Amino acid sequence: MYVKKAVILNRSGLHARPAADFIKAAKAFDSKVQISRTDRPGSAVNAKSMLLLLSLSIGCGTEVEISADGSDEAAAVGALTALIETRFGEA
Amino acid sequence: MKHQGIAIYAGVVFGKAYLYEPFDTEKAFYPADELGGAQARIAAYGNAAAAAIAELDRIIERIDEQDADKAAILHAQQELICDVSVEEEIHRLIEDGASVSQAIREAFEQFIRMFAGAENEFTQERVMDLQDVRNRILRCLAGQTERSLAKLEKPVVVFAKELLPSDTATLDRENVQAIVAERGGLTSHTAIIARSYRIPTVLSVENVLQQVAAGDEVIVDALDGSVIVRPGDNEREALMRKREAHARSKNETMRYHGIQAATSDGLRIGVHLNIGSDEPLPREDVAAVDGVGLFRSEFLYMKSESTLPDEERQFQAYRSVVERFSKKPIVLRTLDIGGDKQLPCLELPNEENPFLGKRALRLCFDEETLFHTQLRAALRASAYGDLRIMFPMVGSMDDIRRANACVKAVKAELRSENIAFNPNVMLGIMIEIPSIALLADVAVQEIDFASIGTNDLCQYLMAADRMNPSVTAYYQDFHPAMFRLIGYVAKTFAQAQKPLCVCGELAGDPRAALLFVGLGIRSLSMSASSIARVKQMLSSVSLAEAEAIAGKVCGMPTADQIKRELNETMDTFQH
Repeated sequence: MYVKKAVILNRSGLHARPAADFIKAAKAFDSKVQISRTDRPGSAVNAKSMLLLLSLSIGCGTEVEISADGSDEAAAVGALTALIETRFGEA
Repeated sequence: MKHQGIAIYAGVVFGKAYLYEPFDTEKAFYPADELGGAQARIAAYGNAAAAAIAELDRIIERIDEQDADKAAILHAQQELICDVSVEEEIHRLIEDGASVSQAIREAFEQFIRMFAGAENEFTQERVMDLQDVRNRILRCLAGQTERSLAKLEKPVVVFAKELLPSDTATLDRENVQAIVAERGGLTSHTAIIARSYRIPTVLSVENVLQQVAAGDEVIVDALDGSVIVRPGDNEREALMRKREAHARSKNETMRYHGIQAATSDGLRIGVHLNIGSDEPLPREDVAAVDGVGLFRSEFLYMKSESTLPDEERQFQAYRSVVERFSKKPIVLRTLDIGGDKQLPCLELPNEENPFLGKRALRLCFDEETLFHTQLRAALRASAYGDLRIMFPMVGSMDDIRRANACVKAVKAELRSENIAFNPNVMLGIMIEIPSIALLADVAVQEIDFASIGTNDLCQYLMAADRMNPSVTAYYQDFHPAMFRLIGYVAKTFAQAQKPLCVCGELAGDPRAALLFVGLGIRSLSMSASSIARVKQMLSSVSLAEAEAIAGKVCGMPTADQIKRELNETMDTFQH
């Protein structure tokens, strides 16, 4: 199990294209990957489900926690937090 | 066998029946629900989901490159179908003993509930997508093909219980030769669309769906409003002759299409067009009119299945119409929904009396963002020509002042953002509620123009729901009270020297057009199909004659007597 926090910095948050990019990246790993909002304890959902991700309504400025459990857990968490830090190519 | 209804747009059409019935997820039969083991049921779900994805693939392939938004929405819907959480939930429900259709329904219901509470608009849009996707999977599960009038394979005569505005807005105009429906009257939405698309149409044909099968040979006689299913040789021959005769007289009338409208003694009458979409308009129609008297903005909203059209999209649509007519005035009516018109992308509460409820401007006052977006788009388009803004469903001075204040606020906003618009954009109202018609002398002081909407004016004046077939006889648009009231409004506007137009269906009826001119109306707005016959009528009568008939008619006691008088008069003028 591997865990890391990140703050969403792109303007539109985890919606639309950024959300799709995020899901696509998460699906590339075999580990079970979860995402939650740090301001909502117990909000962890499957990070490979677009629907569940959108249900968290993650906007700009929200802090999230990404956790992974499995053979490639460290790589998964590293790649996903790095993607968030690129701001998905947005301002 | 012959079935009688009401003729909406004239023509005689020979064709094959196409039965159009939207898929009903509640009533449908799902063979997969009879399956025993969980494995078999899960497999049946997998097949339905795969079929739904394949269907979307085919739709996406057909979408224009310009319509990238639509393709993106459908791609997102495909992803919803593949979503691991949806699949897991459905599998779990099936393993717990649910039937396939139950499992699909329940799983989607859970996700819909999850989003329905959220305040975020992105997630709200997902609710529509989820409903859409659920219905598609269920239909695939039932083994039924997609039904829509947007893309037909060959020319057909459409038979339906009724057509919804969302059906007609995307209608395949190439292949719908004629429309026959069990419901709908002269002023129903279907009727308005049929006239503007010039599709021969017969409505209110009771129980016709029980008598016709898909592929049956049919003849639609939209001259006297009848439909013949599986005609005999005699009927076929008689109607062939009728079709030819109709084509000949239509050609005669069509010679008037492009002329400038005027009475026989040379009084110019403005003839404007009613339009309902941003689709390309034939050049000869654009040239034949003095402008657009009624640009219905609803269609933009009806076309969009899951989201409201944003400011940019509306702006582009309005601007393209304004530019199409160059310097001619375009009267844009702000969103007029509620009543008989519902939007697929905006859920409205069911009302006991929708026509007396929160419709049109009343709804816009409540849905501030929606109204605000439309006003911004309209004002921006006003920078490109003579765009005028008209508010529907105005009943009081409060409505006028409130709507004007909204425009003022949006103008200030645009100014502060340095966005171009016409600062003198004309603002007007629809006169369709009797209270504002009777208050015309006061209203005219605070507006730049008005347009009389005869369909709703009649329904409110006569207290007869125009969608309710059992009170059709009470919906009397040739009632003397109509002409007295319209005469009063016309006189008031003439004194104030402000433009007044009549834009309801009556304006396209040559008999009524003649009366309106006699009552002092100088501008009429109608669907393209009425232009030629109205111009033909006007050219055959002088102003003095029109005034004499109008005066006489206002003194008559009944609608029937007025119609008889007009029919006789028409005959004398046109022969």
